[in-house]
Amino acid sequence: MRLGRPASIRARLTFWYVGVLAAMLLVYAVIVFVFQYATLTNQIFHDEVQDIVTVEGLLYFDGHGTLQLRQDYYSRPQSHLLVDRMMEVRDLSGNTLYSSPTLRGLSLGGPSQPNEGDAGFNEHITRLADGSYAFVISHVHGMGGRMVLIRLGYSLAPLRDRMVQFLFILLIAFSLVLAAAAAAGQFIAKRALLPLELMSARAASITAHNLSDRLVIQNAEDELGHMALVFNHLLERLEQSFQQLQRFTADAAHELRTPLASLRAVGEVALQKEENIESYREALSSILEETNRLNETVDSLLLLARTEANFGTEDAEVFAIGEPVREILNLLGVLLEDRRIRIETAGVYESRTRVRASRGLLRVALMNVLHNALKFSAEDAALRITYHHLSAEDCVQLVVEDEGPGIDPSEHERIFERFFRGHQQPRQGENGTGLGLPIARLIIERSGGTIRFDKTATAGARCIIRLPAYAD
Amino acid sequence: MVQARSKILVVEDDRKLSSALVSGIEAAGYEVSAAASAEEGFFLLHRLQPDLLLLDLTLPNRNGLEVLQQIRQEGLDVRVLILTSHNTIDDRVAGLRTGADDYMGKPFSFPELIARIEALLRRVLPPSPPQKLVVGDLTLDVRARAATRSDAKLELTAREFDLLLYLAESNGRTVSREMLARDVWQETSRYTPLDNVIDVQMARLRRKIDDPFEVKLLQTVRGIGFSLREP
Repeated sequence: MRLGRPASIRARLTFWYVGVLAAMLLVYAVIVFVFQYATLTNQIFHDEVQDIVTVEGLLYFDGHGTLQLRQDYYSRPQSHLLVDRMMEVRDLSGNTLYSSPTLRGLSLGGPSQPNEGDAGFNEHITRLADGSYAFVISHVHGMGGRMVLIRLGYSLAPLRDRMVQFLFILLIAFSLVLAAAAAAGQFIAKRALLPLELMSARAASITAHNLSDRLVIQNAEDELGHMALVFNHLLERLEQSFQQLQRFTADAAHELRTPLASLRAVGEVALQKEENIESYREALSSILEETNRLNETVDSLLLLARTEANFGTEDAEVFAIGEPVREILNLLGVLLEDRRIRIETAGVYESRTRVRASRGLLRVALMNVLHNALKFSAEDAALRITYHHLSAEDCVQLVVEDEGPGIDPSEHERIFERFFRGHQQPRQGENGTGLGLPIARLIIERSGGTIRFDKTATAGARCIIRLPAYAD
Repeated sequence: MVQARSKILVVEDDRKLSSALVSGIEAAGYEVSAAASAEEGFFLLHRLQPDLLLLDLTLPNRNGLEVLQQIRQEGLDVRVLILTSHNTIDDRVAGLRTGADDYMGKPFSFPELIARIEALLRRVLPPSPPQKLVVGDLTLDVRARAATRSDAKLELTAREFDLLLYLAESNGRTVSREMLARDVWQETSRYTPLDNVIDVQMARLRRKIDDPFEVKLLQTVRGIGFSLREP
């Protein structure tokens, strides 16, 4: 764990929660503190003004011209000991006329400032010679024909003590609140994240053997429930492709085993009998034919695996879909002639049927589709090839229609499954690997297109291939 | 085709394939030795100084490509034909770049292997192709691209003539479907539709050159391929 970045979401949530709360409390405390200070200072000012007004009535010059404060004002003589206000009276030339005993001979604010106390009540904070601070207001007052400057101050020490006390209480309260909030936050976060922990424990236990297990969804409406739903869908797809893979592996093993079995049988039979060279030759030829079949199956499997694993678009080029079709028809020419199969081509201009794909792979796909149509065509039949450009989907459509027996309605999807062979048998001797159409589909889908057989076709099979149109 | 008996060394760890290779190549008229590991291969390579090395890429302990690299570093004068089941274009390129002279993917057709060995051992440039090829009473005029049999002109399509020429040039040896797919049809690989095409094309050729005559020249060697020779 890096400092300042807690590892668990729970700790992080709590950390942020407490942090935000602390920031808010801090702002609150500052405001309260300032407000309190202002209120108290205001109160002092107010009191001092009242005091000055009172004091003005109590000051008098005695017979010697000395300024005196009338003491009979106190209801009880000892009450004046409670008074902690400081007072200094000066004449305008700066001589101190009166200094209250609370000042203990110190000066309250030094020499008079120009215009000090002229207009109303000046307020300022001054530092006394003993280091303490006082909140002082000054007022010029006329008495007995003389103008005097009255300074009246309260020591700020009690105020400061009170504010420190207040701050102390605030701090204690805050730490208690924050501690409580942290505990509560931790608890709430833990409660909220509990389903996540359960899910991860469950997910950790899911392996290839129990792919059918699903996460338990406690509340499908909340975020964690959504995540669990998404995860379950992922598991579903994984399970499906895993099953598909298992089925495929089993099918592939079966497909490989059949020719292997015949290889073995032919070899064993040939060796058991004392035969002439001709029958040995026959056995060996049969074995070679089987190995060819095996070889083709393995090649097709490899092509499938390679297309699936790394279908790069780096070798993609732009061409009209009709070009490879023509090449293929040219290559298959002798087969067409041999069976007198007519090719009927129709469609839009080549420039409108351009696609961008791997030409080599697409050629394999189209070869498989066309050869498939050919395999099921009777002699003298027609093979219709139509090119379209579908503006709505912006794709190129290639339709290959044969006049063969067509596809059983139940087999429209299965015909693209690996090693699936429909119940319609092709012309004898043309049994393929059972991988031609699956390879075609894989290549076309990896090129961004679709391939399907038209379910509404009434006579023969109608293969519809769509590929994204290329526009420059 | 007079050849001093060229020496060929086979380095292949699969005993079965190795012994099949040895007897097959011996039958084709070469002197063959075999090694089952890279170390043994090097030993024999220095002692026998063969003309051609058939090298398997997946050997125990050592990669065949490393062996090839060492051979080229030592500057040994030997032609190298790689045999491997890793048969992608990238593998081929890597093999040829490292200094192989030719490359064949497993499983391969034996006639093709022999044809390639022959081509690799042809130390001088092949003589310019003859103007006329004769097989029995069948004559091919290469320049005019015309074929006659017993003085009767045969009407052949371009593809049929190419096919016949390829068979005639093979000197009675059997050619496999893989060889036809690559050399006559110029397809990179063999696949089911192409096999059908080859079979049909062969049947048509046979109808034209053999059906009207007593002696059949075009032979189907079951499981292997075809050959053009007098029976």
